[in-house]
Amino acid sequence: MLALVYRNLRARPVRSILTLLGIVVSTASMVLFLSFGEGLRRALGAELSSVGPAILVLPEGAQAISPGYPELGPETVRQLEGLAGELGITRVTPYVVLTRGGFDPQSTFIFQGLPDGTSPKILYPNLAVSQGALTPSPKGAVVGSRVAERSNLTLGKTLRLSPRISLVVEGILKPAGGFTDSVIYVPASAIHAGLDTQNYTSIAVSIREGGKAEDVARAIQARIPGVSAQTAGDVLRFAERAVRISDLVRFGISLVALVVGGLLVANTVMMSVYERIREFGLMRALGAKRGFIFGLVLLEALLLGLVGGLLGLGLGGLASAAVNWYTVREVGLALSAVTFRLSLFAMLVAVVLGLLAGFLPARTASRIPVVEALGRI
Amino acid sequence: MLEAIQLHKRYHQGEIDVVAVDHFSFRFPAGLTAIVGPSGSGKTTLLNLLAGFDVPTEGEVRLDGTVLSRLPEDARSEVRLKQMGFVFQQWNLVPTLTALENVAFPMMLAGMGQRERQARAAALLESVGMRGRAHHLPNKLSGGEQQRVAIARSLALNPPILFADEPTGNLDSASGAKVVELLTLQAQEGRTVILVTHDLELARRAERILHLKDGRLLKVEERAAFAGSQIAVDA
Repeated sequence: MLALVYRNLRARPVRSILTLLGIVVSTASMVLFLSFGEGLRRALGAELSSVGPAILVLPEGAQAISPGYPELGPETVRQLEGLAGELGITRVTPYVVLTRGGFDPQSTFIFQGLPDGTSPKILYPNLAVSQGALTPSPKGAVVGSRVAERSNLTLGKTLRLSPRISLVVEGILKPAGGFTDSVIYVPASAIHAGLDTQNYTSIAVSIREGGKAEDVARAIQARIPGVSAQTAGDVLRFAERAVRISDLVRFGISLVALVVGGLLVANTVMMSVYERIREFGLMRALGAKRGFIFGLVLLEALLLGLVGGLLGLGLGGLASAAVNWYTVREVGLALSAVTFRLSLFAMLVAVVLGLLAGFLPARTASRIPVVEALGRI
Repeated sequence: MLEAIQLHKRYHQGEIDVVAVDHFSFRFPAGLTAIVGPSGSGKTTLLNLLAGFDVPTEGEVRLDGTVLSRLPEDARSEVRLKQMGFVFQQWNLVPTLTALENVAFPMMLAGMGQRERQARAAALLESVGMRGRAHHLPNKLSGGEQQRVAIARSLALNPPILFADEPTGNLDSASGAKVVELLTLQAQEGRTVILVTHDLELARRAERILHLKDGRLLKVEERAAFAGSQIAVDA
C-alpha cells in the first residue's frame, strides 16, 4: 500500500512538492513561534539559577522581570537589615537599575547600580573578570562582555551616564552566557545622582544556608508594608504564566498557517481522488474493500503531513538557530529553543493535520459506487 | 455455478423509469459464453449485476448457492477478489503500477506474501507472453499488451469465473486474436468465461451466445446451432 501511495505522489511531482512546501512552511512557522516560549523558559531558568540571593524585595505590584522607576527608599533597606538576625538574613544588597537607549538593542545600555564597594559577584556568583577590576570604584564601571564587544568599550574609556556624570571603564567581565553579559555594573551613587533620588529598584536578600526562602519572603511581606518579596520560584511561576499566555497567542497565530497548510493538503488529496476515480473503481472491481481505498487516500495525506512535518521541523530549527545567532549577538540571550517536547508537539500537529485533511477525500473515495467510478452506467 | 434469476434493473432518469435489464434468467455453465446485442441492449448493466458491481432492482444473482446480490458491498468485493477475474475494454490497469505489480495486485489484496506473489505474477505474465514487459508501466504498453496483462491479472487468484467486457474493442485484429485465444484457453481449462461483445466474429468463438435486446434475453444459441453459419443480430 505504501508503494502505491509513494508512486502516486511521485506521479504528480510538482503538485506533491507544492503541497509539501505548504506543510513545511506552516509547520516551520509554528515551530519558530513556539520556540520563543521555550527559549524564554530556558533563558529565565538559566538567569535565575545564576542569581545568588534567594529573595528579591520589590515595591508592591512590581514584577521582578520588569523593574520600573526606583521606589524603595533607604528606610526599607534599614528595616530589612533590622530583621536580619530574627529572619536569618545574611546579606541585604539594594540595587538600582537604569536603562538608557531606545528600541534598537544596539544603542540600549542597562546600568545596574550597586552599593559602593559591592562586587556584582554578590548578585551573580558566576561572574568573573577578564580585564581590570571586578568591583567598580565610586567613579568606575565594570562592563559585561557582550556590551563591551558591541559598543567597543575598553579599559580606560569614559561612559557618560548623564551630562553631569561620567564613569571610567575599570573592568571587563568574562562571558557568562546570559543577561549579565549585557549589563554595565556601576556604583549606585552614580545612578542616584543622575536620577536625583536615593531610592532603589530592588533589594536582593541572601539568607542563611538551610533557611526556607518562601517562609522568609512571607515574613518580610508581613513585617514591611508596601513591599513584595519574591523568591526565584515565584519569579519562575510568574514567568511561566506569562510565557504560557504568550504561547497560546503565538499558537493562535500559527494556527492560521496550519489551517492554510491543512486546506492545501485537503485540496491536493481531493483533486487526486477525483483524478483517480477510475483507478479506485478498478481496484474496487478487482476486490479491494472500501477500507483499503480509505486507507490508501488517508495514508497519502498522512505521508504528506509526516514528511512535511519533519522538513518543517528542520526548517523551524534552522530559523530558530538564526534568531538565536542574532539575539545572542545583540542582547546576549538565546531567545528561541526547539526542545524535544516542541518537536514532538510539532510532529503531532503535522500528523493530525494530515489525517484531518485526508479524512474527507478518503471517505469520498471509498464511498463512490463501483459502477460510477468505472464509468459503467 | 453462476446463476441469474429474474434479474431486473430499473434506473430513474428524472421522472422516467428506464429498464436496463428485464427479468433475465440464465445459468452460466463452464466454458465461454458470449453476450451479444446492440448498443443499449443492457449488456454492460447485466455484467455489472452478475459481477456484483451493482445490485438488481428485482431478482437475484446466485454464486454456488450464495445470493451475491444480497451480500453487503465489502462481502461482494471479497467474492470478486477470490472467485472472479476481469478484463475490461479500457481502464484495465492501475497506471502507477508496473505490469508485474498490476498482476500481483489481487494477490496483495488477498494477503499473499511479496515473494510468492512476485513469482506467481511473473509466471502469469510468462503465460500470456508478457514476461519481457514485466517492469513497464501501462503507458509504455500497447493496447493489446495491456489486455494481455489484464488477462494475466484476472488469473492471479485462479478464479473460476472470468468476465471480459469488449476485451478486443480497442485492438487491431492481430492483438485481438491473441486476446481471444487466451480467453478461449481459459474456458477450455474449465472456467466460466463470460464475454460481453458486439463483435459477432468474436462471439462465434463461444460455446453459446446469449442475445439481448432492450434488456431481455431474446434467445440462447448453442455452438452446434451457429457453427459454420451467419449469426443474426436483432438490431
